[in-house]
Amino acid sequence: MSSDNTAHVNRRAFLTIAGGSGIAGLSGCVGFGGEGDGNGGSGGSGGSSGPETITLGQPGALSGQWDFLQPGISQGTDAAVSQINEAGGPLGAELEVVRRDTAVDPQEARTVATQLVENDDVVALIGLFSSEINPLWDFLQDLSTPVVTPWPGSTFLDTRGGDKRTPTDISDDEWVWRTVVGDTVHTSGSAAFAMEEGHETLGVINGNTEGERSYVEGFLSAYEANGGTVAERVEVELGASSYQSALSRLFEADFDAFLVSLPQESAITALSDWSDGDYGRQPILSDTLTSQAVIDQVGSDLEGAWGATPGQSGPNYDTFEAAYSEAGDADMNAWTPPAWDAVQVTALAIERAGEATPEAVQRNIGPVSRSGGTKVSTFAEGKEALANGEEINYEGAATPVNFTQHGNVFGSVSINTAQNGEFTQTGEVSAADVREFVEEGEY
Amino acid sequence: MGLLQNIIFGVITGSYIAIAAIGFTLIYGIVNMINFAYGEYLTLGAFIGLFAATALPIPLPVAVLVAMAGGGLVSIVLARAFFTPINQTGPVPLLLTSIGLGIALRNAIRLVAGRQARYYDTEATTFRFDAIPDLSVGSVDLLGGFFVTSEQLIVVGSAVVVFIAIHGLLTRTDVGIAMRAMGDNESLARVRGVDTQLIRDSVWILAGVLAGLSGVLLAIQTNVNATTGFSEILQILSAAILGGAGSPYGAILGAYLIGIILALSTAFLPSGMGGLSSAIAFAILILVLLVKPSGITGTEVREA
Repeated sequence: MSSDNTAHVNRRAFLTIAGGSGIAGLSGCVGFGGEGDGNGGSGGSGGSSGPETITLGQPGALSGQWDFLQPGISQGTDAAVSQINEAGGPLGAELEVVRRDTAVDPQEARTVATQLVENDDVVALIGLFSSEINPLWDFLQDLSTPVVTPWPGSTFLDTRGGDKRTPTDISDDEWVWRTVVGDTVHTSGSAAFAMEEGHETLGVINGNTEGERSYVEGFLSAYEANGGTVAERVEVELGASSYQSALSRLFEADFDAFLVSLPQESAITALSDWSDGDYGRQPILSDTLTSQAVIDQVGSDLEGAWGATPGQSGPNYDTFEAAYSEAGDADMNAWTPPAWDAVQVTALAIERAGEATPEAVQRNIGPVSRSGGTKVSTFAEGKEALANGEEINYEGAATPVNFTQHGNVFGSVSINTAQNGEFTQTGEVSAADVREFVEEGEY
Repeated sequence: MGLLQNIIFGVITGSYIAIAAIGFTLIYGIVNMINFAYGEYLTLGAFIGLFAATALPIPLPVAVLVAMAGGGLVSIVLARAFFTPINQTGPVPLLLTSIGLGIALRNAIRLVAGRQARYYDTEATTFRFDAIPDLSVGSVDLLGGFFVTSEQLIVVGSAVVVFIAIHGLLTRTDVGIAMRAMGDNESLARVRGVDTQLIRDSVWILAGVLAGLSGVLLAIQTNVNATTGFSEILQILSAAILGGAGSPYGAILGAYLIGIILALSTAFLPSGMGGLSSAIAFAILILVLLVKPSGITGTEVREA
């Protein structure tokens, strides 16, 4: 009996020690001990006590009406993660991305965000569209995990999000940051370019959904403020088999150019109808329509049509482009460089914080991105500067990534024109010019 | 604004709907079920046609015939697998089964084919008739110049051929006469020696053939994706009910009324209300049914 008892006690003692060691080890892995001040600035640990892996969550459009944009986002994200890991990873850990499909459906996005945070232990979400963020706003605040996303253009976020320029105090924070310029910026750029081109009267055809209306409202706000007038505006249902009646009505009016704000499939039907009806005049396309599929399906009548997209002209675009090209052959789109920036700035925030918790990331996104520190273009440069005790200022691929108090970024706007069967960048409205359209503190 | 031009647009839209609505209403009238999976038959037809035209590849007119044959085959296989075994349970179980089948098919298509839109490679020629004089009443021009494209003419022409063929089938063939007899009184038709299961099968095949044709025509004008047919099912259902459920002639009339109402409401509603054109069409459907519950052609609406 005694020997049995002894053996039992010994086994229990062994399991207790092993379990305790395991818990201690795990606590290091998942970054327990988030009571630290999180202000970082120490240059990260990179020591043996850091976690082995750090996970970011990417809610993605793997299906749904925007799925054609996801391959570029996935490749841009993976290229950034790969480069960061080659540079030693944040806190010396392996950076991982868990990607889950939301189909850009708010209910699905809510489930996916919960799964990523609760099951996958991600420290930040590097996705989510406007149409997911806006209805889930309160939920995302309660989730208290930074959303650093390349997608949303919505004006809803113009005065929501960010750290309010008080990075150490997260009580006034709103947990959304976007690395893409908002609709307010590029619709303003588009309107400015339309006026430059002498299009002083405008026709508008837009879908009857919030995203399409929001785009048009942003455009018209800047356009009319600069003296442009709208001759006719027609709102249509999405997914119709024909838009001829709407076009017939629109083109009864006298205008120089017409703005099209529809999702891609509906826009292709409408623009094919426009081509068949030989209505003519200058098409101005919303940002998502400057894609090859639109030209391929509508044909040569679209020659000369242009649209404004967030510029791909951040200070370190070339660094991104080289890594992106090596990573695969997915088509790049306007949201690809911002996806790269989202990963870089989040990894640098972890490195500066010295710990991998959502709160620590939230506290450090502003400090690693705003001006004042050593300018860095990659995670490797940032890691080295932080190790030397320097503050850093990440300058991105899409924009300089100087987050405003509301977690927004400014950048230039690219004008892409249909020429010889493809969209080519033919102009650019500088960030400084676009800023003139946006009031201080309102973005 | 040109009323004539907008009526032409409405006729074109009505033609897509009419071809499908005939198939839908034949199932309703003879099998006595509302088939909510019918939109997916259009989608499958559109995909079969696209596959034939691009992967095989064969000329588009032949691909259309392949899509029609494929639609008929899909329809009878699905009917034999899911509807015939519960034929005697009444319209409600059949209706619920069709809703479930529709969801399953739609997601299966999405799973296999992906979500992205695909396009038929077609070229349209536009024919303009600008010499028509204006006839203005207020701000509305009753006549005026108009245009049609070769694709639109094919859609309307296909619809006319279908109408003639259906009329011939229902009035000049034994199968068609038996269909009408079954639609009127199935028990009596059986007593008179009509093989009712054979007629049901014939209706399923015919409805599938029409769905295949309508799906391809719709896809040529727009695109092919997992929801190509589903997005049309409400208009097809409305056309069938507006015209008088169970009546192919009523379905044709209902389809053109809905097509023209959609076009005119887009053209003439106050600015900003154009996005409500479908709502206007359905409001008119409700009004008609309030005044004449049996639909325009007066065929009895059965309880479902």
